Amino acid sequence: MKLAGLKSIENAHEDSVWAATWVPATEDRPALLLTGSLDETVKLWRPDELDLVRTNTGHSLGVAALAAHPSGIIAASSSLDSFVRVFDVDTNATIAVLEAPPSEVWGMQFEPKGTILAVAGGSSASVKLWDTSSWRLISTLSIPRPEAPKPSEKTSSKKFVLSVAWAPNGKRLACGSMDGTICVFDVDRSKLLHQLEGHNMPVRSLVFSPVDPRILFSGSDDGHVNMHDAEGKTLLGSMSGHTSWVLSVDASPDGGAIATGSSDRTVRLWDLKMRAAIQTMSNHNDQVWSVAFRPPGGTGVRAGRLASVSDDKSVSLYDYS
Amino acid sequence: MASVYIPVQNSEEEVRVVLDQLPRDASDILDILKAEQAPLDLWLIIAREYFKQGKIEQFRQILEEGSSSDIDEYYADVKYERIAILNALGAYYSYLGKTETKHREKEEQFILATRYYNKASRIDMHEPSTWVGKGQLLLAKGEIDNALQAFKIVLDTAPDNVPALLGQASVEFNRGRFSESLNLYKRALQVFPGCPAAVRLGIGLCRYKLGQLDKARQAFDRVLQANPDNVEALVALGIMDLQANDSIGMRKGMDRMQQAFEIYPYCASALNYLANHFFFTGQHFLVEQLTETALAVTTHGPTKSHSFYNLARSYHSKGDFEKAGMYYMAAIKETNNKPQEFVFPYFGLGQVQLKLGELKGSVFNFEKVLEVYPDNCETLKALGHLYTQLGQNDKALEYMRKATKLDPRDAQAFVGLGELLISSDTGAALDAFKMARTLMKKGGQEVPIEVLNDIGALHFEREEFESALDNFKEALGDGIWISFLDEKENLEQTGVTVLGYKDTGIFHRLIESGHSVDVPWNKVTTLFNLARLLEQLHKTEAATFLYRLILFKYPGYIDAYLRLAASAKAQNNLPLAIELVNEALKVDDKNPNALSLLGELELKNDDWVKAKETFRAANDATDGKDSYAILSLGNWNYFAAMRNEKRNPKLEATHLEKAKELYTKVLTQHNSNMYAANGSGIVLAEKGQFDIAKDVFTQVQEAASGSVFLQMPDVWVNLAHVYFAQGNFALAVKMYQNCLRKFFNNTDSQILLYLARTHYEAEQWQECKKTLLRAIHLTPSNYTFRFDLGAVMQKSSSSTLQKKKRTADEVRSTVAEAENAVRVFTQLSAASDLHVHGFDSKKIQTHVQYCSHLLEAAKVHREAAEQEELQNRQRLQVARQAALAEEARRKAEEQRKYQLEKRKQEEELRRLKQEEEKIQRIKEQWKSSTPGSHKRKDRVEDDDGEGKPSERRRKKGGKRRKKDKSSRARHYEDDEEEAATMDDHNEVEDEDANTNYNREDEMTNQEAEEPVDDDAHDLLAAAGLEDPDVDDDEVPASGVRRRRAPSSSDEEGELMEESQPNSNPQREKEESNGDGEDANVEEEEEEEAN
Repeated sequence: MKLAGLKSIENAHEDSVWAATWVPATEDRPALLLTGSLDETVKLWRPDELDLVRTNTGHSLGVAALAAHPSGIIAASSSLDSFVRVFDVDTNATIAVLEAPPSEVWGMQFEPKGTILAVAGGSSASVKLWDTSSWRLISTLSIPRPEAPKPSEKTSSKKFVLSVAWAPNGKRLACGSMDGTICVFDVDRSKLLHQLEGHNMPVRSLVFSPVDPRILFSGSDDGHVNMHDAEGKTLLGSMSGHTSWVLSVDASPDGGAIATGSSDRTVRLWDLKMRAAIQTMSNHNDQVWSVAFRPPGGTGVRAGRLASVSDDKSVSLYDYS
Repeated sequence: MASVYIPVQNSEEEVRVVLDQLPRDASDILDILKAEQAPLDLWLIIAREYFKQGKIEQFRQILEEGSSSDIDEYYADVKYERIAILNALGAYYSYLGKTETKHREKEEQFILATRYYNKASRIDMHEPSTWVGKGQLLLAKGEIDNALQAFKIVLDTAPDNVPALLGQASVEFNRGRFSESLNLYKRALQVFPGCPAAVRLGIGLCRYKLGQLDKARQAFDRVLQANPDNVEALVALGIMDLQANDSIGMRKGMDRMQQAFEIYPYCASALNYLANHFFFTGQHFLVEQLTETALAVTTHGPTKSHSFYNLARSYHSKGDFEKAGMYYMAAIKETNNKPQEFVFPYFGLGQVQLKLGELKGSVFNFEKVLEVYPDNCETLKALGHLYTQLGQNDKALEYMRKATKLDPRDAQAFVGLGELLISSDTGAALDAFKMARTLMKKGGQEVPIEVLNDIGALHFEREEFESALDNFKEALGDGIWISFLDEKENLEQTGVTVLGYKDTGIFHRLIESGHSVDVPWNKVTTLFNLARLLEQLHKTEAATFLYRLILFKYPGYIDAYLRLAASAKAQNNLPLAIELVNEALKVDDKNPNALSLLGELELKNDDWVKAKETFRAANDATDGKDSYAILSLGNWNYFAAMRNEKRNPKLEATHLEKAKELYTKVLTQHNSNMYAANGSGIVLAEKGQFDIAKDVFTQVQEAASGSVFLQMPDVWVNLAHVYFAQGNFALAVKMYQNCLRKFFNNTDSQILLYLARTHYEAEQWQECKKTLLRAIHLTPSNYTFRFDLGAVMQKSSSSTLQKKKRTADEVRSTVAEAENAVRVFTQLSAASDLHVHGFDSKKIQTHVQYCSHLLEAAKVHREAAEQEELQNRQRLQVARQAALAEEARRKAEEQRKYQLEKRKQEEELRRLKQEEEKIQRIKEQWKSSTPGSHKRKDRVEDDDGEGKPSERRRKKGGKRRKKDKSSRARHYEDDEEEAATMDDHNEVEDEDANTNYNREDEMTNQEAEEPVDDDAHDLLAAAGLEDPDVDDDEVPASGVRRRRAPSSSDEEGELMEESQPNSNPQREKEESNGDGEDANVEEEEEEEAN
């Protein structure tokens, strides 16, 4: 398996690009790439030439997270002002604006069947679940707070939920927080199953293996990518190589590899059999905030694609094979 | 059976004395000799016989009796025999003197000998044998010139006197004139072909000395043929065999030596050579015995020197350096301190002194060796090492370089050179080591692990990690690590983490599965280096495994614990890190490195009191010599000073002073310690001496660039702080950005905060906002950034509103900005209800209110601006309409004019026609009459008159309309003026509010900075005082604790209080990361005060 650069757009945004996700293909069009930036816009690109389809405005304070509905029809974008905007991908019509004060909004992901949108709630120390038909808040999954006798600045600020990930079967939800712990929930029962340990620094990105719902990958500021058994609560392994924070992790649709983006300005491809980095892409010259594999499906497009976005304002597309 | 016959006096009879049956008591014989008045030659014969039989006492008795005054009287006329007896005694005593080792006795024997010879001379002073004897005596006494005279006297009269010839030869030999000596020996042999073997020995020695080795060997062989027991010949041949330098020669030589030893156990040279041999075979006991005997039997300086040398060597190799040194010195003394004669002892002594640490003496001796052999590589190398140890690096380098030049194939010399260069010139050192490696490989030698290790480490230092890895691998050779490095074994399956450092199970499992987990002692260091390298390459798991392997095998390897602890620290697992350091401290509770790391960890864990104790302990453990411990204490004091500003300026000054003192102390110990320099720079900056501080920082920054082990981002930050403090915002921004990029991969939100602050001061609101947004994005849980963001947006919008000129767009974005500010503050107030962030919710509420207020104002402004815009648009429209009307009018006019013209033309035509008609008519009238024509003309004129006024009227109307417009415009202007005054009013309010709120800002920020676990009472009190309704007059009242509040005349200067410059002391070795750990100092001071 390897990555090959296909296309790179310099100055794709006017400022740092912080988020990227693929909107799955619909009957009318192929999968599109959605990117969000500090310049307060969300842009829609058509692969492989990365033609700009549209620029969405309406956010303030920088777009921090994006999520696409599995149907490919709607998507959600969130910004540092803690609003989530749900919109129709093709028309850019606003479907809903979500907020759950005082909770902030960080990572977001749609449930694999598309019925729920999970939003990492920052200092509310919880994950908010929104129903995608009524756009009402249906549940709040709280992570346990430390039983410190006197909450100090340090401990309290670290119970801060940054990232979420749905297991491919939709039964489990994992969230990562500033203090490095990862909580796994049983969604149906709204119950915390357990906490996964191994990181002690912020976990900014989580992803379940698309082939094995037990396996969860986490990227942390400690520069490691950990591989957990989300059911058995064990740390299966730890992969190091990045020289700075791991900002983003995504698993390839075939389940054989993961890609990571890091503050060390590189994108790395990891072979899960060897559990080692087999390729390092250094085409970005600033922090790589997000990497995303294109989901399979669409109009006969079988080739694997990986997108990466960076503080250097660029968006890059790679062929993954 | 040999016998002599003593004639019986006065008879024909004789007494038969069988020579080998001489009576034990010499008196019996003497009685007979005396009674029978036997001829003196018989006396001599019998004495000699006794001598031959080894009965020295009897020999002396007879001769002494034979030289007594009675005999002189009785045999007065028998001159020759008397002389012979005296000479025999003289020779005997000469011999005794010669062999005697004790100085006094030796002298006594020589005196006796002299006395006998003198007596003989008195009988006949021309007797040659006496002179020969005297010559021998002088020779034995070492008076070579006198001896020469004595022999010459004999030879002048009797040139063929064999003994004299031999004596002369001996003299010449001793004077080093070997060919003369050889000639004399030859002549003696010609004169007396049957002369004793000794002559041939002399010839052999001469030839040997002259380098005619084959002839010498022949001569010695001849000696041995004649006398197989001749020790000297045996020894000489032995030496020659040994010098042949091959194993057969050696064996033969040693055989001969042994033979000689068996024949005569007191031959010093034989003993020396034997000792030499046994030295090499390692039989030190024999060496000592032999040499001691040799020393006992010889007085010959060089031989003794050799013996001492052998002895010394023996002790040397046994490691008894004291004794060895003594004997080397004795050996040197025997050569009369002339290194030219025998240089080995100097070398040995040099080595011994090196071992004993007497470096100066060692240098002296090696230099002596170098006098004799200026190109001796070993000596050059030894001196190179010595000068290194004495700190004279230049000299050391000179010698090492010379050694490598002299013998470019001497790998050892290159190794030495490399070692010398390591600290000064890594590139050259690397080259030297590589050269050594190549040489060793070429020579088929195994490259020592040390060399490979050094090469690896040098590559490591030069950031050539691949090469470093290769060398470390080569150095380590086969072992469990290789299978891990090559990923044959899957590390993951063994589940190595720092966490389970106590679990040795994996190693046992590895052993069970047939792996060897041995780590030879000489590979530990390299293994450790390899682990370090892997760490650098971010292969943390492999590194962890190696550290754990080291600890499994060598549980006392503190550094491995410390690296594991550092690794845990890097992953922010402080409890584990502390546990690991404590493991290390179990091994050695005084290990300064472990203590320092522990202190650092405690600092990070906010255990200030403990940290200070630990740093102190580290300092004590090294007797105050460890710069790191002192630096840590300095830093501690600096932090303490900074944290105390709100409470006690005196304490601040004390701490600052203490910090400075400690930094200075380090600097006096190591004047190139950059961390200490950085620290002093900070203190200087803290005291406002920015220019000096800047110089210091700049120098440190320059010095710090270029090594992988030296990462000093702090100095960049500090430099930026200084620029900032001096108002050079552009440079400060650049410096912060470079630092962020170079050292932190842009991940340090604290520096982003500094950057934001700089933008703020430079009034670059948008940049400031963006920077803060980045910081929030990096550290979402830090609410201070959000607060600052709100404050910036508030400031930026209010400043836009204050501008005299602005576009509606600007105002619109201002409204958006204000809306965002409101949102941010609202969220913040909601969030701070949930958590304690150090923000006072009331204050945030104030901000919310202010921003809402601002928003309302802004909305008014926006409306005004929009209205203005609308009016502008309308005005434009009107103008356009007017222009259109004008155009229409103009067109109409033109039309009219055109028509007028047309009409005129028509008129004209008509007139012309009429004229024509008229003319025709006149013509006709001429025929009749012409009156009506004038009237018609008038009418035309009238028509013209009517047209003009109407036009004028229309123009007038146009003017009026214009006037209307202008009056209306004036009305708008009035409106605008009104709006402006309203603005002004607003602005005044705004400004009031601004100052008010900005103060609030800074307070809030300070509040934010304050330890959260400060007693709640304080917070409440502060909150109470900060009632939003209270005027700013109240601020000083509340500012008792906030020293800065009243003094901050520069309105919002303190907004980002947290980013005060200089609050970023250095992180040392492994980044202490102490900054920003503000909490608890005050508490702790209290504790201290208690």
